[in-house]
Amino acid sequence: MRKLCKSLGSVLLAIALMMCVGGSGALGAPSSKVVVDQWEIPFLNCLTGPIASIGEYMAWSAHRAADEINQKGGVKGKPIKIVDLDTGVSPEKAIEQMAKIVNKSLVALGPVPEACIMAAMPLAVKNGLLCMIASTTYEYQSQFFPYAVAWDSGSDKTLPPVLAGWAQRNPGMKRVVQFVERWACWPGMADAHAAGLASVGVKTVEIEVPTDAVTFGPLVVRALAQKPDGFVLTCTSEKAAKIIIELEKYGWTDKSKIIVFSSADDMPLYTTGREKLNGVYIYSYLDSQMETERWVSFKEAYKRAHGGMEPVSLSTVYYDCVYMIKEALENTPVTGDPKKLKEERTMIREYIRNIQNFEGVQLTWSMKDGVPTDKGTFLFIIKDGAKQYVDYFKPWK
Amino acid sequence: MSPVIYYFLSFTAINILMCWAFYLPYRVGQLHHLVVSCMMASAYFSGYAARQWSWPFALTLLVGTAIGMLICLLPSFAIGDAPCFTVVIVGLTVLFIMKTAIENTRALGGTLGFFGIPQVNNLLLLAYLCLAVAGLLIYRIDNSRLGRAASMVFVDRDAASALGVDVKRLGMLFQIIAGGLAGLAGSLYAFLIGSLFPEFFNLGVIGTLMCMLFAGGHSTMWGVVISVPVFEGLHLILPTAVASWLQVIYAVTLIVVILVLPGGLITKKMLVKVGERFRARPQTVSIKGGIKE
Repeated sequence: MRKLCKSLGSVLLAIALMMCVGGSGALGAPSSKVVVDQWEIPFLNCLTGPIASIGEYMAWSAHRAADEINQKGGVKGKPIKIVDLDTGVSPEKAIEQMAKIVNKSLVALGPVPEACIMAAMPLAVKNGLLCMIASTTYEYQSQFFPYAVAWDSGSDKTLPPVLAGWAQRNPGMKRVVQFVERWACWPGMADAHAAGLASVGVKTVEIEVPTDAVTFGPLVVRALAQKPDGFVLTCTSEKAAKIIIELEKYGWTDKSKIIVFSSADDMPLYTTGREKLNGVYIYSYLDSQMETERWVSFKEAYKRAHGGMEPVSLSTVYYDCVYMIKEALENTPVTGDPKKLKEERTMIREYIRNIQNFEGVQLTWSMKDGVPTDKGTFLFIIKDGAKQYVDYFKPWK
Repeated sequence: MSPVIYYFLSFTAINILMCWAFYLPYRVGQLHHLVVSCMMASAYFSGYAARQWSWPFALTLLVGTAIGMLICLLPSFAIGDAPCFTVVIVGLTVLFIMKTAIENTRALGGTLGFFGIPQVNNLLLLAYLCLAVAGLLIYRIDNSRLGRAASMVFVDRDAASALGVDVKRLGMLFQIIAGGLAGLAGSLYAFLIGSLFPEFFNLGVIGTLMCMLFAGGHSTMWGVVISVPVFEGLHLILPTAVASWLQVIYAVTLIVVILVLPGGLITKKMLVKVGERFRARPQTVSIKGGIKE
């Protein structure tokens, strides 16, 4: 009898333990049966056309994140699959690609670039699909809230502190010429630069860089006629490099009084500018010299895949996006069931819009209603073709 | 209706309108790129009027069409009978000027773009209604004295003048109607997409429309009715890897068509032959020993 009671007790104990373990599992992660074989995440990206090189590294980073996640068992036991859809920088193509996914996807990456965002996002908004348009600026993202999340807190908050910081490193600077190419959100970024400089008493004079400009001598002569103490370059990477070369040709020697904006932090800047860039400042959203294990691994893989090229400013955004989606899928009772599409989209959207302490490949940040609350900008100085960390600036409140 | 089909049909309607806007002045030998500027101006106007002034759709459509006509009217006094190359240059220049003007106008969103154009119910139906009306107009023109005069101007301008055709007035009329068609297309485009961006109206648009017009056939209005849905549908049916080469496919198609079928896939001659076949059954005549029975 005693033996029977003992074994019965053991069985009961085992059952109780199993219930506890099972119960805690149910408390820790939402219990829901996944009905999909894989988590398909469409990426509306510019894989062909004039900026296909940018599209390539964005796609590469999204696929890398998916591969890493899949190697560790995927999300809720199912792999992530990035489905590349080419927008070809064509608004019509972008809207038709969006039309393909808008009734079936839980969440999407892109569209890229701005022309495609403008064309395809109204359709996503109409159908309640969250799109991670992380490669653009707050000025675009905020137009499509809550079906887009911002990747910074707005040019008028993020950029002025960096420009003010750069100006303070060059005491005596009173008047600066800003070369501005009027494309998409760049004029807005130029205004934010000017606001930052004005906050430390520096006046900005603007000179427009035509989109189709080939020679830059006349622009530089016009700029030098303003007798400036420094220059801000808000134009494409190649044009920025050529303007710096022209400035040197016309006798400008103090490179520390030149700053290049983040969107020009791309390969043509370095391949065209070469040693002429020595001493030039540049601001960007990632610090290539960071030495965390995760970043070093990303950087090395990126360099292997891109002929030794260092990761550029936008190369990490979709890597972080995929991890953000992973976190949302893991921490919400999403199943992938097409019948629950609407409610599961809402769960993912609300999770991402208010994600807390998200660990990106470089920074850790939180979101409030789709806007990062504590994400700043790095300032670098270029030495021998590489960026060297100078400072990190938090956005203005 | 699935969104894919909806947008495919909508873009098809808008592109047919735009191709007809190119087709009409080309009847008198003019490549009238100015119509892309008309489309742009009308799209921005319609978007602004609908969002800022809450104008009803029908009114924006009418005024948009009128804006397109007005934009073509003014230069037509100078280029009504100008050679093809001059008309091309004027068209491209005005497009550049208009794009710069919009990029520098904050009220229209500048370089950032114009957001929040309200949605319109049954837009697809309305687009096809507009297309039918425009098609009827062009059909009437094609089969009228104006159409025959245009064919003569296309073949030999001097001979047409000698026969009493007022080449300039004819060119002006076609340019103005083309402007109206492009204005209509622009208004529909704005409401379909819901936002506007200066880069929507670039040289790529001209290239694509030219390809559709010349591959379909520039001597009849029906060519583009075939070519536009084919070109529009290509990137929907082709696998992604192949669709990425679409620009190349467009270019190669255009080159091949120009080399092999200079008049395009559908020509006026072809339609006349088909028409004859359907209109009158040929009498069967048997001949025995050279004597008709």
